[in-house]
Amino acid sequence: MSNTWYLYLFFSAVLVGVGLYALLTKRNLIKLFIAIEVLAKGVSLLLLSTGFARGNVLVAQALVVTFIVVEVSLVATALALIINVYRHTKSLDVRKLAKLKG
Amino acid sequence: MILQTALLIALVLFSALAILLRDLLRSAISLAVASLLLGIIFFRMNAPYAGVFEISVVAGLITVLFILTIALTNAGEEVREAKAVNWVFPVFFIVFIVIDGLVMKSLLQKVPSLATAAPPGGFREVLWQGRTMDLVGQIAVILAGVFSVLALFRKRDKHE
Repeated sequence: MSNTWYLYLFFSAVLVGVGLYALLTKRNLIKLFIAIEVLAKGVSLLLLSTGFARGNVLVAQALVVTFIVVEVSLVATALALIINVYRHTKSLDVRKLAKLKG
Repeated sequence: MILQTALLIALVLFSALAILLRDLLRSAISLAVASLLLGIIFFRMNAPYAGVFEISVVAGLITVLFILTIALTNAGEEVREAKAVNWVFPVFFIVFIVIDGLVMKSLLQKVPSLATAAPPGGFREVLWQGRTMDLVGQIAVILAGVFSVLALFRKRDKHE
Protein backbone atom coordinates (compact mmCIF):
# COMPACT_ATOMS: atom_id res chain seq x y z
CA MET A 1 0.00 0.00 0.00
CA SER A 2 1.13 3.56 -0.63
CA ASN A 3 2.53 5.73 2.13
CA THR A 4 -0.50 8.03 2.04
CA TRP A 5 -2.69 5.14 3.14
CA TYR A 6 -0.71 4.81 6.38
CA LEU A 7 -1.41 8.47 7.14
CA TYR A 8 -5.16 7.87 6.80
CA LEU A 9 -4.87 4.64 8.80
CA PHE A 10 -3.10 6.59 11.55
CA PHE A 11 -5.84 9.23 11.76
CA SER A 12 -8.65 6.66 11.56
CA ALA A 13 -7.04 4.78 14.45
CA VAL A 14 -6.89 8.03 16.46
CA LEU A 15 -10.60 8.69 15.82
CA VAL A 16 -11.56 5.14 16.80
CA GLY A 17 -9.33 5.36 19.89
CA VAL A 18 -10.88 8.68 21.02
CA GLY A 19 -14.39 7.26 20.46
CA LEU A 20 -13.62 4.10 22.43
CA TYR A 21 -12.14 6.12 25.31
CA ALA A 22 -15.31 8.20 25.58
CA LEU A 23 -17.51 5.11 25.29
CA LEU A 24 -15.70 3.53 28.23
CA THR A 25 -15.58 6.58 30.50
CA LYS A 26 -18.60 8.84 29.93
CA ARG A 27 -21.94 8.44 31.72
CA ASN A 28 -24.28 10.74 29.83
CA LEU A 29 -26.25 8.76 27.24
CA ILE A 30 -26.10 11.53 24.61
CA LYS A 31 -22.35 11.85 25.14
CA LEU A 32 -22.00 8.10 24.61
CA PHE A 33 -23.84 8.46 21.36
CA ILE A 34 -21.57 11.31 20.26
CA ALA A 35 -18.69 8.91 20.95
CA ILE A 36 -20.28 6.32 18.66
CA GLU A 37 -20.52 8.98 15.96
CA VAL A 38 -16.82 9.79 16.31
CA LEU A 39 -16.04 6.08 16.01
CA ALA A 40 -18.19 5.87 12.88
CA LYS A 41 -16.26 8.79 11.36
CA GLY A 42 -13.03 6.86 11.81
CA VAL A 43 -14.51 3.81 10.10
CA SER A 44 -15.87 5.73 7.11
CA LEU A 45 -12.56 7.59 6.69
CA LEU A 46 -10.70 4.26 6.63
CA LEU A 47 -13.16 2.73 4.14
CA LEU A 48 -12.81 5.57 1.66
CA SER A 49 -9.07 6.03 2.08
CA THR A 50 -8.47 2.33 1.41
CA GLY A 51 -10.46 2.59 -1.80
CA PHE A 52 -8.57 5.76 -2.69
CA ALA A 53 -5.17 4.17 -2.07
CA ARG A 54 -6.05 1.18 -4.24
CA GLY A 55 -7.34 3.36 -7.07
CA ASN A 56 -10.84 1.94 -6.67
CA VAL A 57 -12.67 4.83 -5.11
CA LEU A 58 -16.06 4.10 -6.71
CA VAL A 59 -16.81 0.91 -4.77
CA ALA A 60 -15.50 2.48 -1.56
CA GLN A 61 -17.77 5.44 -2.19
CA ALA A 62 -20.80 3.16 -2.61
CA LEU A 63 -19.89 1.43 0.66
CA VAL A 64 -19.51 4.76 2.48
CA VAL A 65 -22.92 5.90 1.23
CA THR A 66 -24.45 2.65 2.54
CA PHE A 67 -22.64 3.12 5.83
CA ILE A 68 -23.99 6.68 6.20
CA VAL A 69 -27.57 5.50 5.55
CA VAL A 70 -27.21 2.79 8.20
CA GLU A 71 -25.70 5.38 10.57
CA VAL A 72 -28.67 7.73 10.16
CA SER A 73 -31.15 4.95 10.83
CA LEU A 74 -29.18 3.94 13.90
CA VAL A 75 -29.06 7.52 15.20
CA ALA A 76 -32.80 8.04 14.75
CA THR A 77 -33.66 4.82 16.58
CA ALA A 78 -31.14 5.34 19.36
CA LEU A 79 -32.16 8.94 20.02
CA ALA A 80 -35.81 7.86 20.19
CA LEU A 81 -34.76 5.21 22.71
CA ILE A 82 -32.83 7.82 24.72
CA ILE A 83 -35.90 10.09 24.88
CA ASN A 84 -37.99 7.14 26.08
CA VAL A 85 -35.39 6.26 28.71
CA TYR A 86 -35.43 9.88 29.88
CA ARG A 87 -39.21 9.82 30.21
CA HIS A 88 -38.96 6.65 32.30
CA THR A 89 -36.08 7.47 34.60
CA LYS A 90 -36.02 11.32 34.41
CA SER A 91 -32.30 11.06 33.92
CA LEU A 92 -29.73 10.44 31.20
CA ASP A 93 -27.32 8.71 33.55
CA VAL A 94 -26.31 5.37 32.11
CA ARG A 95 -25.76 3.91 35.61
CA LYS A 96 -29.45 4.28 36.40
CA LEU A 97 -30.27 1.90 33.58
CA ALA A 98 -28.66 -0.88 35.59
CA LYS A 99 -31.38 -0.47 38.21
CA LEU A 100 -34.32 -1.04 35.87
CA LYS A 101 -36.67 -3.77 37.01
CA GLY A 102 -39.56 -5.32 35.15
CA MET B 1 -0.92 16.71 0.86
CA ILE B 2 -0.19 19.36 3.51
CA LEU B 3 -3.75 20.70 3.27
CA GLN B 4 -5.14 17.16 3.55
CA THR B 5 -3.03 16.52 6.68
CA ALA B 6 -4.18 19.82 8.18
CA LEU B 7 -7.81 18.84 7.50
CA LEU B 8 -7.24 15.44 9.15
CA ILE B 9 -5.66 17.07 12.22
CA ALA B 10 -8.58 19.52 12.47
CA LEU B 11 -11.00 16.57 12.14
CA VAL B 12 -9.36 14.79 15.08
CA LEU B 13 -9.28 17.99 17.15
CA PHE B 14 -12.96 18.76 16.61
CA SER B 15 -13.89 15.14 17.37
CA ALA B 16 -11.91 15.34 20.62
CA LEU B 17 -13.63 18.65 21.42
CA ALA B 18 -17.03 17.02 20.82
CA ILE B 19 -16.15 14.51 23.52
CA LEU B 20 -14.43 16.85 25.96
CA LEU B 21 -16.85 19.81 26.03
CA ARG B 22 -19.26 19.80 28.98
CA ASP B 23 -22.05 21.65 27.17
CA LEU B 24 -23.86 19.09 24.99
CA LEU B 25 -25.02 21.70 22.49
CA ARG B 26 -21.44 22.75 21.85
CA SER B 27 -20.44 19.09 21.56
CA ALA B 28 -23.10 18.52 18.91
CA ILE B 29 -21.94 21.56 16.97
CA SER B 30 -18.28 20.54 17.06
CA LEU B 31 -19.36 17.09 15.86
CA ALA B 32 -21.08 18.82 12.93
CA VAL B 33 -17.91 20.76 12.16
CA ALA B 34 -15.95 17.48 12.25
CA SER B 35 -18.44 15.99 9.76
CA LEU B 36 -18.03 19.02 7.53
CA LEU B 37 -14.25 18.58 7.55
CA LEU B 38 -14.64 14.86 6.79
CA GLY B 39 -16.92 15.78 3.88
CA ILE B 40 -14.25 18.15 2.51
CA ILE B 41 -11.64 15.37 2.87
CA PHE B 42 -13.96 13.06 0.90
CA PHE B 43 -14.31 15.69 -1.84
CA ARG B 44 -10.54 15.98 -2.07
CA MET B 45 -10.28 12.18 -2.44
CA ASN B 46 -12.41 12.27 -5.61
CA ALA B 47 -15.49 10.96 -3.84
CA PRO B 48 -18.08 13.73 -4.34
CA TYR B 49 -21.13 11.53 -3.58
CA ALA B 50 -19.74 10.38 -0.26
CA GLY B 51 -18.82 14.00 0.53
CA VAL B 52 -22.30 15.26 -0.29
CA PHE B 53 -23.89 12.54 1.86
CA GLU B 54 -21.51 13.22 4.72
CA ILE B 55 -22.17 16.96 4.71
CA SER B 56 -25.92 16.95 4.07
CA VAL B 57 -26.92 13.90 6.11
CA VAL B 58 -24.36 13.59 8.89
CA ALA B 59 -23.50 17.27 9.40
CA GLY B 60 -27.09 18.38 8.76
CA LEU B 61 -29.70 15.80 9.70
CA ILE B 62 -27.89 14.05 12.55
CA THR B 63 -26.96 17.38 14.16
CA VAL B 64 -30.61 18.44 14.02
CA LEU B 65 -31.63 15.13 15.65
CA PHE B 66 -29.00 15.60 18.37
CA ILE B 67 -30.10 19.17 19.11
CA LEU B 68 -33.74 18.07 19.21
CA THR B 69 -32.90 15.32 21.69
CA ILE B 70 -30.83 17.71 23.82
CA ALA B 71 -33.77 20.13 23.91
CA LEU B 72 -36.26 17.38 24.81
CA THR B 73 -34.17 15.82 27.57
CA ASN B 74 -32.91 18.90 29.39
CA ALA B 75 -29.37 17.98 28.27
CA GLY B 76 -28.89 15.56 31.13
CA GLU B 77 -27.67 18.29 33.46
CA GLU B 78 -28.11 16.00 36.44
CA VAL B 79 -25.56 13.48 35.19
CA ARG B 80 -22.31 13.77 37.11
CA GLU B 81 -19.35 12.66 35.04
CA ALA B 82 -16.34 11.17 36.79
CA LYS B 83 -13.91 14.01 37.53
CA ALA B 84 -10.79 12.19 36.38
CA VAL B 85 -12.10 11.58 32.84
CA ASN B 86 -11.21 14.97 31.34
CA TRP B 87 -7.85 15.05 33.14
CA VAL B 88 -6.82 11.59 32.01
CA PHE B 89 -7.83 12.28 28.41
CA PRO B 90 -4.72 14.31 27.34
CA VAL B 91 -2.42 11.63 28.79
CA PHE B 92 -4.39 8.88 27.05
CA PHE B 93 -4.40 10.89 23.82
CA ILE B 94 -0.64 11.48 23.75
CA VAL B 95 0.18 7.87 24.70
CA PHE B 96 -2.26 6.60 22.06
CA ILE B 97 -0.77 8.83 19.34
CA VAL B 98 2.78 7.72 20.19
CA ILE B 99 1.83 4.02 20.12
CA ASP B 100 -0.22 4.54 16.97
CA GLY B 101 2.69 6.31 15.25
CA LEU B 102 5.13 3.56 16.23
CA VAL B 103 2.78 0.83 14.99
CA MET B 104 2.25 2.64 11.68
CA LYS B 105 6.00 3.10 11.30
CA SER B 106 6.60 -0.60 11.83
CA LEU B 107 3.79 -1.45 9.39
CA LEU B 108 5.11 0.80 6.59
CA GLN B 109 5.36 -1.15 3.32
CA LYS B 110 4.40 -4.38 5.06
CA VAL B 111 0.73 -4.45 4.13
CA PRO B 112 0.64 -5.91 0.63
CA SER B 113 -1.31 -4.06 -1.99
CA LEU B 114 -3.69 -6.54 -3.56
CA ALA B 115 -4.27 -6.50 -7.26
CA THR B 116 -7.19 -4.33 -8.11
CA ALA B 117 -9.06 -3.26 -11.15
CA ALA B 118 -11.31 -0.25 -11.16
CA PRO B 119 -14.80 -1.25 -12.30
CA PRO B 120 -15.90 0.15 -15.64
CA GLY B 121 -18.35 3.01 -15.80
CA GLY B 122 -19.12 5.69 -13.27
CA PHE B 123 -20.47 5.77 -9.74
CA ARG B 124 -24.02 5.21 -10.93
CA GLU B 125 -23.17 1.88 -12.59
CA VAL B 126 -21.22 0.70 -9.55
CA LEU B 127 -24.02 1.61 -7.12
CA TRP B 128 -26.98 0.38 -9.16
CA GLN B 129 -25.42 -2.66 -10.87
CA GLY B 130 -22.48 -3.73 -8.74
CA ARG B 131 -23.97 -3.07 -5.30
CA THR B 132 -27.66 -3.77 -5.87
CA MET B 133 -27.94 -5.85 -2.69
CA ASP B 134 -26.55 -2.91 -0.72
CA LEU B 135 -29.43 -0.78 -1.97
CA VAL B 136 -31.95 -3.43 -0.92
CA GLY B 137 -30.26 -3.52 2.48
CA GLN B 138 -30.40 0.27 2.72
CA ILE B 139 -34.13 0.27 2.01
CA ALA B 140 -34.66 -2.43 4.65
CA VAL B 141 -32.60 -0.49 7.20
CA ILE B 142 -34.49 2.76 6.53
CA LEU B 143 -37.84 0.96 6.90
CA ALA B 144 -36.64 -0.70 10.12
CA GLY B 145 -35.60 2.72 11.44
CA VAL B 146 -38.93 4.32 10.55
CA PHE B 147 -40.94 1.50 12.13
CA SER B 148 -38.85 1.47 15.29
CA VAL B 149 -39.22 5.24 15.74
CA LEU B 150 -42.99 4.92 15.16
CA ALA B 151 -43.16 2.08 17.70
CA LEU B 152 -41.17 4.03 20.27
CA PHE B 153 -43.34 7.16 19.97
CA ARG B 154 -46.76 5.55 19.66
CA LYS B 155 -49.48 6.88 21.91
CA ARG B 156 -50.30 4.61 24.80
CA ASP B 157 -53.82 3.27 25.24
CA LYS B 158 -55.69 4.37 28.33
CA HIS B 159 -55.84 0.90 29.88
CA GLU B 160 -52.11 0.29 29.39
